[in-house]
Order: sequence, then structure tokens, then C-alpha cells
Amino acid sequence: MTTLISYIVRTSTKLDKRCIIPLLLQSPPPPQLLLLSPLRTFSSEVPKSQPPQKKRPARGKGPVTWKSLAVTGVIGASLLAFMLYVRKEKEAAQARERKRALGKASIGGRFELIDHNGTPRTSDDFLGRWVLLYFGFTHCPDVCPDELEKMAKVVDDVEKLECGQSIQPLFITVDPKRDSQAAIKQYCAEFHPRLLGLTGSEDAIAQACRAYRVYFSAGPRDEDDDYIVDHTIILYLVNPDGDFVDYFGQNKTAEQATASIVFSMKKFDDANKKGFLGSLL
Amino acid sequence: MSFRDKGVRKACWESRDRYWACLDLPDIQRDHCLELRRLYEMACPVHWVKHFDRKRQYMEFKERIHSTPGGVPTGVALSRP
Repeated sequence: MTTLISYIVRTSTKLDKRCIIPLLLQSPPPPQLLLLSPLRTFSSEVPKSQPPQKKRPARGKGPVTWKSLAVTGVIGASLLAFMLYVRKEKEAAQARERKRALGKASIGGRFELIDHNGTPRTSDDFLGRWVLLYFGFTHCPDVCPDELEKMAKVVDDVEKLECGQSIQPLFITVDPKRDSQAAIKQYCAEFHPRLLGLTGSEDAIAQACRAYRVYFSAGPRDEDDDYIVDHTIILYLVNPDGDFVDYFGQNKTAEQATASIVFSMKKFDDANKKGFLGSLL
Repeated sequence: MSFRDKGVRKACWESRDRYWACLDLPDIQRDHCLELRRLYEMACPVHWVKHFDRKRQYMEFKERIHSTPGGVPTGVALSRP
């Protein structure tokens, strides 16, 4: 009888309950077996042939160990760092777009003039370079020479610095009637060898002045037919994208202007240096 | 008319500075600087002389304003905004 029971128990793991009942009915079951329900008998006994189960884990060793905590922490921190980096990139891109939209609307724009060598030049010819722009006229008593000297000094100082780049200085006349190409060429040569003078028709000059919001007005003529043109006295800084970036009035010294320009150059380079993700997209 | 080149400009500014240095001397009468004024007017174009005279007037006005304690001295006309 015990062999029969052990045989049934052995096979009960493989057979389902429908098989066990007919097996039991084949030979008269012993009275002990009838008293107990077949399911409970077979399920509660531990099969002797199977290997002993592992005991419950020792005290102090739960599913959360120091090691698993450290691993989770490292993964979580790296994911957080990644998320913050991505967010910073996105904010930088948004700021760039905003700045670009703002800058174009206010000051600056296209101009089409003729340089002091007689070559037609447009504002697009200077894209890719930093530009310092000054509006003046050759018959100016003291302001234009002072500002042009300052501009020449700033251009040289910025180039000498490690973090500085070369700037193209431009001089646009607000007195096209008197300032011919030859006059401007001679005038500009006195300040800086790279200073490029631009002139043109009155309409072209007026359009350029309108783009940069430059006020100019010829004063009364005296007996020599001489007159002074009253005009805005500002040095404009334009970045390689052709956008107006900064301005320097008479109150800014050459050193202050140099510092501002170098700072603007660095900001421009940083903004245009795409992050790792930016280069992937 | 061609513009005044660097040399002409420098000569004009120097004669102007000499004239102004004379005017800045303490207890000076304006007619003592007449000779310098004549040289200055010869060195600089007419329009520039007018321009520099206006500038000098403005500089003197600024001096007066800054040196008077408590603001504008009486007798100086100021346009109210």
C-alpha cells in the first residue's frame, strides 16, 4: 500500500486531478486515504525525490542591499545629469532664437554703397566678419577725427588680445555731396590702413542711415559755402551674422569699448558652439 | 572743397588750445588774448571757429553749474522740460 501511495504522489505533480481519481478507483483505496481529501493529501506532502528547498534568507539580507542602493543611486544621478544637460541645451537654443528675432527688428539692416576704391559694396559683403561702423563726414571739426582715432585704437587693441578677432572698420559718410571717393580714401588712410570708407547717392546714404537709425542734418552754410553736418555720434558693432550687437557713444573710452567687444565676441562664439546633442540633430 | 587733412587739423586744434589756455589764466581780461584769437581764427576755418566757440561756452556753463553748490545759480536761464 505504501508503494502505491508513493507512486501516486510521485506522479501527482505530472498528472492533474482528473487522472488521480481513476487511478485511485482502480484498486480499493485504504481507509486512511478515504478519510483525507485527495487534493490535500497530495499537495501538502513534500515529495521526497525533489531536492530540499532553500531555507528563508538569513536576517538582515532583504531585497534592498547597500550594493543595490548604490547602483540605483548611480543610475539615477546619471539620468538626472543627462536631463539637466538636455534642458540647458534647450534653453540656450531658445535664447538664441529669441535674441536673433529681437536683434533684427530694432537696428541694422542692408545697405548698398560704393567703397573708396570705387567698388560697389553691400552689407552682405561683410558677413562672416565682425564690423565696427561709424557715420561721419570729412569736414568734421573735431568729433569725427576723435571717434575715428578711438575706433582705430579699439580695432588694434582687440586684435592684439588672444581672445580677440579681427574687425573690419567701416566709415559711412553722411555728407555725400562733398565726400567723393577720393576724399574719403585720403581721409580714411589717415586713421587706419584697413578703414574702408563708403559713399554713394543721397538716397543710398539716407537708406543706410535709416537702417541704423542715424540722424543727420546739414547745418547753415557760411560765406565759404562750408557747413557742418549734425549727426548721431555712435560706433556700431555688428556681428558676423550681420546683426547689430552693441554701440559705443562718445562717453565710452577705447578701453571700455575693447572690453565690451571682446565680451560680445565670446558670447557669440559660445552661442554658436553647438552642444553634443545639437550636432547630432 | 577738399577737407582739412591731419596736419591742418592739428595746427587748428593747437592754436585753439593756446587761445583757450590764455582764457583759463586767472584774473585775465578777454582782450589780453586778442592776439592769440587772431592767430586761432587764421588757422581754423570760419565754421570751426564758430563751432569751437559754442563748445567753449557750453564747457564754461557746465563748470558754473557743477561748481555752484545746491544747483543752478540765479541769473542762468534754464529751459524747464
